[in-house]
Order: sequence, then structure tokens, then C-alpha cells
Amino acid sequence: MRFLCWFALGLVGVTASVCISSSAAARDSAQAMPDTATIARLADTPRWQALLHYNPGATLRGVGESYVDDPNFFLASDGATNAADELAATIQALAKPDSPARCRYPARYKFVATQLGWDTTDALAHCTDYQDWRDRMPIGRLVMVFPAAYLNSPSSMFGHTLLRLDASAKPESAYLSRAINFSAQSTGADGSALYVWRGLVGGYPGRFSVNSYVETIHRYGFIENRDIWEYPLNLDHDALDWLVRHLWELRGVNFDYFFFDENCSFRLLELIHVARPDLPLLAGQRFAELPVHTIRTLVDAGLVSDNHYRPSKIHTLQRYADPLSSSERALTKRLTRNTGLLETPAFQDLRPAARHRVAQVAYQALRVDGRTRQRDKSTAHDSLALLRAIQRNPAPAAAPATPPAPPEKGHATHLISLAGGRIDGASYGEFGFRMTYHDVLDRPQGFPTGAGIQGLDLKLRAYDNGDIELERLGLVNIRSIAPRGTFFKPISWFVDSGLEQTPAGSTRQLGLYLDGGPGLSWRVGDVVPYVFAAARLETVATQEPTFGTGLGANAGALWITPTVQWGLELSQRYFAQGFHRTRAGLSANLPVSRNNALRARCEYESWNAQGQADCQLSFRHFF
Amino acid sequence: MKKILVGAALLGMSASASAVAPGGDGCGWGNLLFEGKSGLPVHLLATTVNGTSGNATFGMTSGTNGCDTSGALTYDGKSLLAMNGMLEEVAQDMAVGHGEALTALSVSMGIEPEDRAHFDTVMHQHFADVFPSQDVDAGQVMTHIDSVMRQDERLKVYAS
Repeated sequence: MRFLCWFALGLVGVTASVCISSSAAARDSAQAMPDTATIARLADTPRWQALLHYNPGATLRGVGESYVDDPNFFLASDGATNAADELAATIQALAKPDSPARCRYPARYKFVATQLGWDTTDALAHCTDYQDWRDRMPIGRLVMVFPAAYLNSPSSMFGHTLLRLDASAKPESAYLSRAINFSAQSTGADGSALYVWRGLVGGYPGRFSVNSYVETIHRYGFIENRDIWEYPLNLDHDALDWLVRHLWELRGVNFDYFFFDENCSFRLLELIHVARPDLPLLAGQRFAELPVHTIRTLVDAGLVSDNHYRPSKIHTLQRYADPLSSSERALTKRLTRNTGLLETPAFQDLRPAARHRVAQVAYQALRVDGRTRQRDKSTAHDSLALLRAIQRNPAPAAAPATPPAPPEKGHATHLISLAGGRIDGASYGEFGFRMTYHDVLDRPQGFPTGAGIQGLDLKLRAYDNGDIELERLGLVNIRSIAPRGTFFKPISWFVDSGLEQTPAGSTRQLGLYLDGGPGLSWRVGDVVPYVFAAARLETVATQEPTFGTGLGANAGALWITPTVQWGLELSQRYFAQGFHRTRAGLSANLPVSRNNALRARCEYESWNAQGQADCQLSFRHFF
Repeated sequence: MKKILVGAALLGMSASASAVAPGGDGCGWGNLLFEGKSGLPVHLLATTVNGTSGNATFGMTSGTNGCDTSGALTYDGKSLLAMNGMLEEVAQDMAVGHGEALTALSVSMGIEPEDRAHFDTVMHQHFADVFPSQDVDAGQVMTHIDSVMRQDERLKVYAS
């Protein structure tokens, strides 16, 4: 069902089935077939390679072959691996003026006709489905769209990308533009583990689709509460014509979908590459294509000169709520529970502009909550009552939102660090590498505050006595410290797993661990205090059994300013095996540029009563 | 819910992710780490399936989006209003007197740029006529907008 719906939502909603018959085309050809050398030369051009989605070496898998995993896309039997054969078959199929292949491949037609000097007058006039679709896809401007992280979900920090096609360079309403998406088509029947596995190895097909941009705004901005960044691209009419023609060729065509490299972001980049094959959009090897890399690639290629920030509903609410006095804010909170207060002096005695603001904040708070639930009569009644109060009490327009730093201005993804420190009288040097992405103390610009996700975090230490030891190999460490406010009461949480050195008896030992739990946090000015309940599983223990299970708590605070980021944390775990661990740490992070920072950290760790202090200073470089 | 799903995915256990839970349709790593099955518009479909109230104000609708492709790319005023969540956006913009949703509505209704500010003002003034109760649906709201326009010298040319 889900798949069928998706298909229906799919590229055009036109289920034109086009039969390609290349056998008879040559005989009726109005055009002469060029010689082999010409075909070989044209097949090597970047545009033809882009139209066939040949991998120029951008990803590891199948270099020199097409990414398209769909035999219907090719006209030659070896079209997925032989660009020249596919070009010859294409020329043959397109040659006849009323050829149905022209309607199936309008971008290939543009390529062949331009290169071979064919007369293009009314060449696609017989393609009524295509023409109808083009009428509904007016091309004025292409915009790269980046929905950022949503609240309390650090794993969404990687973001998402899609394209928007505007009818003109200055569209009257972006709501009415088209959204171009590439996404995996999972069947919904697989369990999570299988889903992850199939996603990694390319078990799901991916497809392009077109729908209305208003659905994108509704879904990401209103339901999921993600800020949306929009980047208009400097692409001229001809480039956009290539892209839209090619989009038609891709309707219903399957690509393999790989989470790491061949994902939505990579495909969109590839689509733009069809429009501008002269730009180095796919240059270099990609191990993992993150949405923010895509934005940076477009910026570096000179295609982006501007951005537009579309705040989520929650950020809009915060912007309206912040200027209210504390008594007004308390009143808005009461109004969301009882709109009868609108008729009492508590509300009526306010100035008209204040009545407007208070009612507006109450309405928005009610809707943020109500929007994701089923409609109920009392919420609907309260919503309308608040809207009437807004309407009856006019106020000057609120100041526009001040955008935060855009995601592409954030630090890069990978991290290497070099540190020097002392533990228990021994000096050491430490080398660190972190695959991805951000911890809560890293430079905050471009990232949501209090959210951290770290994957594959390696630390190696060389001690002054010559020992070299693995200090840490973190697998995944996710932290969501989401402060509770007037309107929202999120539950913070963290999960951390991997291998690490911890005190055990009078020594330190390497062991596997899994640590995590739910928590609460608050905001006091720039300081965010928090507490977590936590459970820990570990393999480190000096006595039998060697599998430790502990319970405990963490308490700490973040103080995140644009220039320095401070973190303080205390944690305690009591283990069923009869020992306990205490850890206390203080860190300060000082970014010196976008991708470089200094970090000082002192930590005290103990196993039962035996403890060690460890202090270090590190230089951190993102790349 | 979210952290449980994350934990389950990390541990490789099989958990059946709720299709209704918002979130997770990132791409690449975020999607992998976050939640089971969310690589397609589960939420849109979920909200469509779960909508119980037709295209009423302040409620999820089961209108022209989702599986129905007939209005998927181009909208007139009525089909735009019938989209999930649009009616409440338009209601809010009319109460305030301006906004992106209200502009989208006037553009989709074919109102010329020079008349749009006037349209916004008239709709703001007649908010109570356009939204007389919380139970109006998109069709009724469109009818009310139409009758308000009919009574306005500048806007009556746009009334159907």
C-alpha cells in the first residue's frame, strides 16, 4: 500500500507506458548515423556521461558504470556499461521525427540534436504527455533546500536535502513551487535491523519524485519542526531546461540507494551535474555524502549567492514568546488550557498590541501541540477563540526572524586531535580521530545547541614510559540536552557505546561499555543544567563475573557562548557486582577558527575509592 | 520513543518502528541511525491515513495530497485549502492580516499582485464571516471567501 501510494505520488502521476522499438528505426531514419569515431567522441563528453549517470569516480562502487539500476532506462543491452553503444542505440531510436523515444528521452534528444545539428523545430510536438507535464513545470529558478535537525533528535543533525523549482526568478509564492525529492522506497515490512542492513548494502531502490513544495514546508517546518534553509542556485534557463528534461527521463527509474554515499544528497548533486556538466560537482572521492557537504559543494562551485531561512513553528513561537514579560508568558500558558480567560480582566486589561501578542503565542503553542495529534473538538474551539482575539486586537507586524548561522558555516565533519596530558604522574601524548560529527562542546555555529552525535571516535596514547595504548574507541555517542521551557517539556537523553579505558582496582583496563538514559534539563540564561538517570553495561571488572551492570546518575551543566563552550559533569554508577565508579570532569573549548579549536579538560575517575586525575590540553582540527 | 528506537537500531534488535511517529526521514546517516522505516514519506501517509476529520479547520485532512495525484502539482484556491494543515495556516494569516499561506491562497486564486494587499485586508476584516465556527471545512471556507469578495468592489471580479 505504502509503495503504491508512493508510486502514485511519484514523478508525474502520469503512467505513460512507452514502448521503445529500435529495430525498425534505422530503416526509416531521416538522419544519417555518424561514424564510430564521432560516436566514441560524443559518448565521452561529460554531458552524455551525466545523462546516463555514469560514475566518474565519485564513489567506490562501479566506477565507469551507470548508477541506474533499471534495464528500462537503457536502449542498448550493454547501455549501463558502454556509453558509446547506448549513444548509437539512442541516435537510432531518436532519428525518426515522430519517434516515441523522443518523448521518453527529451534530454537525450536535446543532446543528440545539438551535437549532430538536427532540425529541432517541433521535434517534440507529438509528445503530449511530456508537453502537458512541462506546462506544469515552469522553470524560473532552482533552489537547494536543506531541512535542518529537529528538536531532541541529534541523529537528524545530518539534515536532508531536496530541490525546489520556482516558476520564476522571483516567485510570487514558494508554497506553489515544485519540490524534487530523491528517496529510498522501502516496503515497510522489514524490521529495523534488516532495514539498516539493506539500507547500507543498497537493498532498497531509490527514485526521484516531484510534488508540491507546500507539502515539504508542512511536513518539515510544521509537523517535524525543522528549520528549513533555502539556497537559490545560479543556473540559467538552458541549464534548467536540461535538468527538467532529464527529470522526465528519470520518472519511475530505479537507482540503488546507499545510506552512506549514494543517498538523496548525492543524487541531487548528480541531477544538477546534468544541468552543468562543466562544473566539478562530482570531483573527488566521496566516502559519505552528507547533506551539508552538498551545500558546500554548490557554494564552492559558485552556484550559491544567497540563502533564505524559514524557521520551524517552534522557533517562530520562541521568537514571539521571548519579548513577552514573565506574567504575560504565564498568561499565555493558562490561555492554552482555558480560553475563557480571554474574557477576563487578566487579558482584557492588557494593551491591544499585548493582547495580540499574548493570544498569538497561545495560539501557536496550542497548534504546535495540536498539529501532530488527531483533531479534537475542544482544541479546535480554543484555536478559533484565540484567532478571534488576535484578529480583534491588531498589532504592528513583528520583526522578521534573525537567522542563526547557516549549516554550511559550521565546522567540517571529520576531526583529528593532538593532545598532551598527565595522568597519575605519567605524561602522555594522545592522537585522536573522529569520523563524525559534533559534540556538545564543539563550536556551536551552524549546529543545534545541546545536541551531539559522535561516530567512530578513536584515541591512542603514547606514555612517557614508551607504552602505546588504545585509550578509547567510541562507536556511537549521542546526546540530546533539550531544555524544558514554558511550552515544551522535552525529555533529554543520551546513549554512548564502544571501548574505553577505565579504572579497575589500582590500574586502568580496556573494556566494552554501553551507557545511557533519560534526563531533564533547563535553561538559565546561557547556562543549561541537566540531570540524567543512567544505566551502564561493561565488560571491565577485576572479579567474576566479568560482565558489570550498573545504575546511577549524571548531573552537569553546559555554558555555551559563541566564543567559549564550557561543560561540567559528575557521574556515579553503582554496580551489582559490588563496586562503584565516579567520574567528574570540567572542559573548556575555545574555537580559534571555523575548523580549529583548543580544548582543555580535567577529569577525575575512581573505581571504589581509588582514583586518578587526568588533565590534558588538545588541539582539534576539523576537515 | 525516539531513544528506544535509536537503541534498538544500534543494538541490531528488531523493533517495529511506528509509522505514525514523526521524524526520521533524513537522508544518509541520520536516517540510518534514527529510526527503522522512514526513508519515504511515512509521515505524510500516516497523517493522511490517521486523519479522521475530513478537511476541517485545525485538524489533519485526508484531502488532495497523499495518494491522490490529481492536484499534486497545481492548485486552485480550493484544492490548496484542502491540503493538510493549510486551512489552519490561512486562518492564522487572516487573523493576523497577512502571511505566506494567505499570499499562496491569493496567488492560487488568480488575484493580481496589485490587489493582494487589499485581499489580505478584506479577509482580515471579515475573518468572522470566513471562519464562523471551528467546524468549517475547506469547501465552506472557499464559499465564504467568495461571498466576501462578491461584496467588495475591487475583489468581486475574482469571485466565481
